[in-house]
Amino acid sequence: MTHLSLQKKLHSADGQLLLDVNCDIEEGSFISLYGPSGAGKTSLLRMLAGFMQPDEGLIKVNNEVWFDSENKINIVPQKRMIGFVFQDYALFPNMNVEENILFGLSKAHPKKIVEELLELTELSGLREKKIQVLSGGQQQRVALARALARKPKLLLLDEPLSAIDNELRSNLQRTLLSIHSHYKVTSIIVSHDINEIMKLTSKTIHLRNGKIEQLAAPVEIFTNEFQDEGMLKALFLSLEKSGNQSHALILVGDQVLKIACSTEDANDLQKGDEIVVSFKGAPAFLRKL
Amino acid sequence: MIETAPIFLTLELAFLTTIILFFLAIPVANWLSHKKSILKTIAEVVVSLPLVLPPTVIGFYLLLAFSPANSFGKFLEHYFDIRLAFSFGGLLIGSVIYSLPFMVHPILSGLNSLPSSLEEASYSLGKTKMQTLFKVLLPNIKPSLLTGIVLTFAHTIGEFGVVLMIGGNIPGKTNVASIAVYDEVEALNYHNANVYAAVLVAISVTILFLLYFSNRKLQEVKIL
Amino acid sequence: MKIGVFVLGFSFLLFHPAGSNAQQKKITVAVAANMQYAFAELKNEFEKNNDVKVNVVVGASGNLTRQIVQGAPFDVFISADTKYPGNIYEQGFAAEKPKVYARGALVLWTTKEGIQLNSDLHFLLSPKIRSIAIANPKIAPYGTAAVALLEKNSLVEDLKNKLVYGESISQTSQFIASGNADIGFTAKAVVLSTQMKNKGKWIELNAQDYPPILQAAVLLKHGLQKHTVAAQKFYEFLFSEKAKDIYKKYGYIN
Repeated sequence: MTHLSLQKKLHSADGQLLLDVNCDIEEGSFISLYGPSGAGKTSLLRMLAGFMQPDEGLIKVNNEVWFDSENKINIVPQKRMIGFVFQDYALFPNMNVEENILFGLSKAHPKKIVEELLELTELSGLREKKIQVLSGGQQQRVALARALARKPKLLLLDEPLSAIDNELRSNLQRTLLSIHSHYKVTSIIVSHDINEIMKLTSKTIHLRNGKIEQLAAPVEIFTNEFQDEGMLKALFLSLEKSGNQSHALILVGDQVLKIACSTEDANDLQKGDEIVVSFKGAPAFLRKL
Repeated sequence: MIETAPIFLTLELAFLTTIILFFLAIPVANWLSHKKSILKTIAEVVVSLPLVLPPTVIGFYLLLAFSPANSFGKFLEHYFDIRLAFSFGGLLIGSVIYSLPFMVHPILSGLNSLPSSLEEASYSLGKTKMQTLFKVLLPNIKPSLLTGIVLTFAHTIGEFGVVLMIGGNIPGKTNVASIAVYDEVEALNYHNANVYAAVLVAISVTILFLLYFSNRKLQEVKIL
Repeated sequence: MKIGVFVLGFSFLLFHPAGSNAQQKKITVAVAANMQYAFAELKNEFEKNNDVKVNVVVGASGNLTRQIVQGAPFDVFISADTKYPGNIYEQGFAAEKPKVYARGALVLWTTKEGIQLNSDLHFLLSPKIRSIAIANPKIAPYGTAAVALLEKNSLVEDLKNKLVYGESISQTSQFIASGNADIGFTAKAVVLSTQMKNKGKWIELNAQDYPPILQAAVLLKHGLQKHTVAAQKFYEFLFSEKAKDIYKKYGYIN
């Protein structure tokens, strides 16, 4: 169980913000930190890592006290068993892939874990390569493997996939998932990608203005306000008229749908209008890809 | 005919100064590159002073400091029987002070240009500050280290004002090439002065060549 | 309006100095560093009896020589030796051959406690004396004289390790005055000067024991051409009885 209750005055471009959070994270779970920019997500992660010190509070990880302002305890990052994956990967340019991953291990450490990680992240063939020649996706995988080499107590991921294109992202998300199920490390990921959050995490901390607005399963947090069955928000694109029945092109998330609709409904709509679409009636067909 | 002693003396002074400063400047630059405080600002000013002070001023103050008539000189003479004026050791100290910013600034600049996430990543993997400095930071600022070394070396070769004040021009000990050139000119032996000068120019040009050549090789290893 | 004021002021600048120049003659004299003490009095004495303003440029003889052959606008050069004036004459910048105006006197000077001066120079061998300052014999006649003196006393070999060389008499004296050198050979003019008068102790050395330190002056072509009367008057003054008195007072031999 990871317990954190901390306060910190943060300074941002918009002024001062008081970060005040209090929550417990189950061991082995994969949770996400979600919220608008400047809400304090990265700061929270950095405080867990020990890169930033809270003004007040308590951080306990599996009964180990990492930070306690009352008893003046502040364990340095080196002594906290963490794995941190940075947004800019922060790989060491003077080392190749294998050396980066080995970096955290002492000489005495068994190297078996490195082989395992290289396989899980599909990097075995690239172990000798200098990191400068790797693509973004490959670099991120190295960062992930490196963070896990020491089997940390806490895996912290700061928007690790935000610089990766969509196609590659699903691949990497799958890697993250398989790693998590393999090692069962308590993991916290900061992400803006709802898709990602849904796929990977079991709980989401919704942070706004430095406070936890909601802590629940992603499904609950990202349910849209239209609770009715079969309704969703979309963006109207265009209309193809043909008598009474027409076809509308709408944008749902990042997918364009062509749906049958009544001309009357769609006539006054302009491109870019936000609309609600409801699919009442016949059940929809579902098939796995 | 010119003597070779001044040339060798100059090279010896330059080599030793560079080596000493290399090991001195790394911890100083490392300290200065981390969190700022008023003490560090003062330190930065002190480190940069030799850049703006005329070398003769540095030499003059050193001469005063070394003098057995003043507390520091007296202390050295009384407890260690050391006199720094007119000695190679005194020149070395003057040289180290004179070229200090030339080693510190490039290294500091290099360290500051590294993303802080690099350091944090190393800490997150359990490495201490020292281990991080030697395994992650320094290996990734090789061009800066090289710049510092070469600037310091070249700068020391040309050192004149400081040596003039505290050297005493002793053959084999403190009569460096720059002083030899000056003396030959003073004595109206322009031919000899030219020879010394030519040798110094040749050495400096060779060093610069080495710098630019190896810098090009290092450019191939770019930081992400 | 503003432009008018500017033009007015500027024209004053243009016309003003020429006017005053015509009133009082000015000459520029280049003086070797160790002569600067005596020169101050020479200047006063001359200006008292002549309506001429004397500007002085003090420097190392070598530097001044270099400047003169590069065209520096000096009228007279008072050196501390004969080599540099000779060089200026050879290069064609002198109005006439240089003339000796005085001889330098060598003294042994120390500002350290506990050193007993002795005209028998063998006391310099004492281990208590670790550094002996002399002017660089390559470029300063006082240095050449000091080395000659030591050679006469067969002390050069034994004292070689203690010798410390000043680039000029000024620097040599500074080494001694600051205590960095335990003792040293310098010009009598230095130890008699107001700045150094009561510092330490000194003894004068036998003039027979070292080659004469001849100090020469030279009237420069620039002086002859630009400030003919004033420059010549001053140059001649350097060899007058009054001047000789001043030299003596400041520690030079005639």
